[in-house]
Amino acid sequence: MVPWSGRWWLVRRAGNGAAAACATAAVLVACAAGYHGLPALGPVLDPGSGAWASASGGLTPKSQVLQVPGLTGAAAISFDPHGIPTINATSVPDAMVALGYLHARFRLTQMDLQRRLAEGRLSQFVGPAGIRSDIFELRLGLLRTARREWAAMPKTSAAAGLLTAYSTGVNDYLAQLRSSGQWPAVFSLAGVYPARWTPVDSLAVQGGMAQALDYSTVPLDYSLLSRALGIRRTMRWLPVSAAAQDVYDPGPYRALGVTPLAGAWAGAGAAGARAAGSGGTGANTTAVPKKALAGSAVTASRSVARAAAAALAAATALPVAKAGGEGAGAAWALNGPKVAGGGSMLASVAPVAEPLRSAWYQVAISAPGFDVAGVSLPGLPGVMIGHNAHVAWSLGGTQDQSALYYVERTSPSRPGRYFWRGRWRSMRQVRYTIPVRRGRTRHLTVDLTVHGPVLTRVGRTVSVDWMGNRGSPDVAVLARIAAAGNFTQFTAALAGWRSPALTFAYADDSGNIAAVTAGYYPVVRRGAPWMLMPGTGADDMAGVIPFAALPRSFDPPGHVIVVAGQRPVTTAYPYYIGTTLSGRDFSDSAGRASALLARRSRLLPPDLAALQASHSDAVAATLSPSLLAALRRATLTPIEQQAASVLRGWNHSLDGQSAAAGIWAAVWPAYLSATFGPWWHAAAGLAARSRRVGLSGQLAGLGLARALERWTLADPSNPAFTPPGKPSRTAASVMRAAFGAAVARLRARLGGAPASWSLDRVASWTTASAPSAALLPVLGPYATGQNPSSDQLWRPGPARDAGLLEGLAGQTWRMIVSLRIGQATPAGRGSIWAEGIYPGGQSENPASRWYANLTGRWRNGGYLPMAPAGAEAAGRIRWVLFP
Amino acid sequence: MTRQVSRSEVDRLGKRGSYRLGGLGPVGGVRPAPPRPFKPSFPRPRHHGSISGWILTAAAATILIAGAAVIGVWFMPLIVGIVTGVATRQGGWRLRVSVPAVTIIAAAGWGLGLWLSALKGLPVGATARTIAVVAGLPAGALLPVAITLAVSAAQSLAGLWLGRALAPRPPWD
Repeated sequence: MVPWSGRWWLVRRAGNGAAAACATAAVLVACAAGYHGLPALGPVLDPGSGAWASASGGLTPKSQVLQVPGLTGAAAISFDPHGIPTINATSVPDAMVALGYLHARFRLTQMDLQRRLAEGRLSQFVGPAGIRSDIFELRLGLLRTARREWAAMPKTSAAAGLLTAYSTGVNDYLAQLRSSGQWPAVFSLAGVYPARWTPVDSLAVQGGMAQALDYSTVPLDYSLLSRALGIRRTMRWLPVSAAAQDVYDPGPYRALGVTPLAGAWAGAGAAGARAAGSGGTGANTTAVPKKALAGSAVTASRSVARAAAAALAAATALPVAKAGGEGAGAAWALNGPKVAGGGSMLASVAPVAEPLRSAWYQVAISAPGFDVAGVSLPGLPGVMIGHNAHVAWSLGGTQDQSALYYVERTSPSRPGRYFWRGRWRSMRQVRYTIPVRRGRTRHLTVDLTVHGPVLTRVGRTVSVDWMGNRGSPDVAVLARIAAAGNFTQFTAALAGWRSPALTFAYADDSGNIAAVTAGYYPVVRRGAPWMLMPGTGADDMAGVIPFAALPRSFDPPGHVIVVAGQRPVTTAYPYYIGTTLSGRDFSDSAGRASALLARRSRLLPPDLAALQASHSDAVAATLSPSLLAALRRATLTPIEQQAASVLRGWNHSLDGQSAAAGIWAAVWPAYLSATFGPWWHAAAGLAARSRRVGLSGQLAGLGLARALERWTLADPSNPAFTPPGKPSRTAASVMRAAFGAAVARLRARLGGAPASWSLDRVASWTTASAPSAALLPVLGPYATGQNPSSDQLWRPGPARDAGLLEGLAGQTWRMIVSLRIGQATPAGRGSIWAEGIYPGGQSENPASRWYANLTGRWRNGGYLPMAPAGAEAAGRIRWVLFP
Repeated sequence: MTRQVSRSEVDRLGKRGSYRLGGLGPVGGVRPAPPRPFKPSFPRPRHHGSISGWILTAAAATILIAGAAVIGVWFMPLIVGIVTGVATRQGGWRLRVSVPAVTIIAAAGWGLGLWLSALKGLPVGATARTIAVVAGLPAGALLPVAITLAVSAAQSLAGLWLGRALAPRPPWD
């Protein structure tokens, strides 16, 4: 018999062993598999692999010989001290292989994030926080469009060749990563790694770009406004057409009818277009007589407003600035006496409406018949903005309406069906599975009508016919632009551009300048396209404005073209191109630039550089005197007096360190809110949820801002300042109240010293230099930013709400190209000199020397010379690539 | 049944020859086992092997952990912990020595791995800050490094516990 003391020892030993085994198992599980948001800590934090291995991506590249199996011949890449590469290849496809390799090497996280955003696979990476984005994108159809485009693209075409070659280069680098395990940290921490890159991914990224630059929600906005304010007041405040400022195409205009959409890429709208027929004069069918409103728009009933609010909420819930084309960029083209020494000049600032500020990747490419330098968008082959040996070009947003919204006629007794052209039809359904990291897999069914995807069934069934869903041969167009030698070739290339609708600024070495609008502008046979329209067929799209009839300017007599997202044509233009709510020139930068350039001549690149670097805000310059006048007549608290005195000495420049700019950044949206908010909140016709959505959309510095500016200056007693049932107000009293509210808010957030309320602090915005990696906390919710003290992150604040980002952050890539009509050379070339800069760096790895090396220079208004197109790779760091 | 004790035997207690006495126990009964010898804790236990040998072994374990990390064997601290647990039990090392020792070995192993990366010129500090921001931690290099070393130490401590629990009881224990 075992004594008690022996048995107790056995029990203790067994218990100890069991406890040890459980503890070891728990540690193993945590290290090997992770738990609830925690990654597998063992492999992730292993010093030789996992997240620490990403340190190798932070090393400055060295000269080396690399094997890239996708090449067909040797290629060379050289890097200048700033990390800007020059590619020399023996063929254009090999150049694209090298470009894909470069993009993957330095911007893989950005590329993977962009394709996940576009293809509705974000939540597979970030977890449940990405579900709303995925649902919206899968509904809208970027992935469907990309797949359809690729399926329809002839595989022997030049574009298919470029896309395939580019994908090959990306995959060659991915293969290297898989064997080395040196993934960027974000993938290791998430435990989700990029899949192979395909041409569909590039096309999806292209669609994401189109959505970011040109997804219009104007009809949804008008529906909500009409419900809240009444249709008459809405159209009075936000008319379809108004006296246009600084058009670059003053006419005369040609009504060339309508181009019907055709081909496999016409998408869901093709049937409607064919059924509606083509022909008719554009002047008669798309001009906007007031009588067109009657009976041709869906009455903004409560249910319609609910549907509009739901659709708008879905679009605005996307990652920052993903939908809607925030900011338009600007370009100024000059020639003749405006340019010292003759020739032409093109200065541009290009927008990137992405959560990732440094989305551009600068590159120079040289291959037989393809010599181009400029900026590319990782994920897409080719150069988007830049110059070749003869021409320079840039692109920017323009006033347009890229989406038509239809209220489908449905019936509870006919589920899954809608009424169109006299009979009931079945909706087509597409089903998706949305994998969610550390969450339950979601399933989504998307209904499609002849118009497009159904966005919402809340209240009413609303579908959208978005021009981006029709596909666009952007890659082929950009390749042809890169090879263009004159304006004829340039416009011939642009004729194929469909989406996004953009204005291309142009200058060449023959001294010509131009602005050409390209893209699909939908034309409806009847109805009010700025409102939700009935989906029964009569208001369907008939086609698009012919390319030849789109706004264009070539060598204007004033020798200056200014493009800044403003309405490009006068009210005499015979086609509908959006309303006053569609314009993107929030701060009248077009007018400001036009006035400045009109007064000057014989300009040099430094003169344009100074203009680009100027952060002067025209709205502030126009309205701050009115504000100060109103404050002089008011009784102010001590802190308000301090804030007012800060404003008095302001030069209206939106410098990050400026306290006056910070105060204005808070006052302007407060003024908007104080003017329009009471109308909105008092709107009996809007449900509370609709009201919340609409408020955030309408008061975000869009069309109402321009109306407010106009009333403040010319009509300070406008009834808009006095909501129904309220005491009479004027612009001055509203400004006074807004100023007080803004100061109170700033004091609560930033303390009691107005002199310290710099714009950087107010906007919660710092220099965003991180392209991607640090913007995606994988262990926390997907957010647009965190840790304001970091120089890696960005998030919106009142500056964005006020549309002030135009002056601060909407302008990213800055470029100045001077094209001289030089001495005749055997090659017949002129001389081109170019410089450019963007805030950030070529590498997305924060540990890299090339991560934020360009930011300081950008903030100080500096530039870097761009390699001449066709230059030999001359940098010290050279890669020799062989198959 | 207890044997009857005579008075003369009781009187002989303490006198010469009284060692023969002892039959006062029960007749025919089992003699109880002798008591366990008392082993006071202040004397130093007998360790197998020399101190220098143990130290060299610890250094080798550190290098082993660092080397395994380079090739991606992240669970080497756990294995080292198990082996250490068995070895220290057999070697007579108490917990108050073996716990700090295995913690230091494991942390130093992964720390050595990071240090070697830094020696190679890799931007370990900047990478640490990146990891911190991406993981949603306060931006700084210290916390990711500390968490890395802590993960290694946690593995080794769990292994130590398991090793000691599984190790056979030493004969002198």
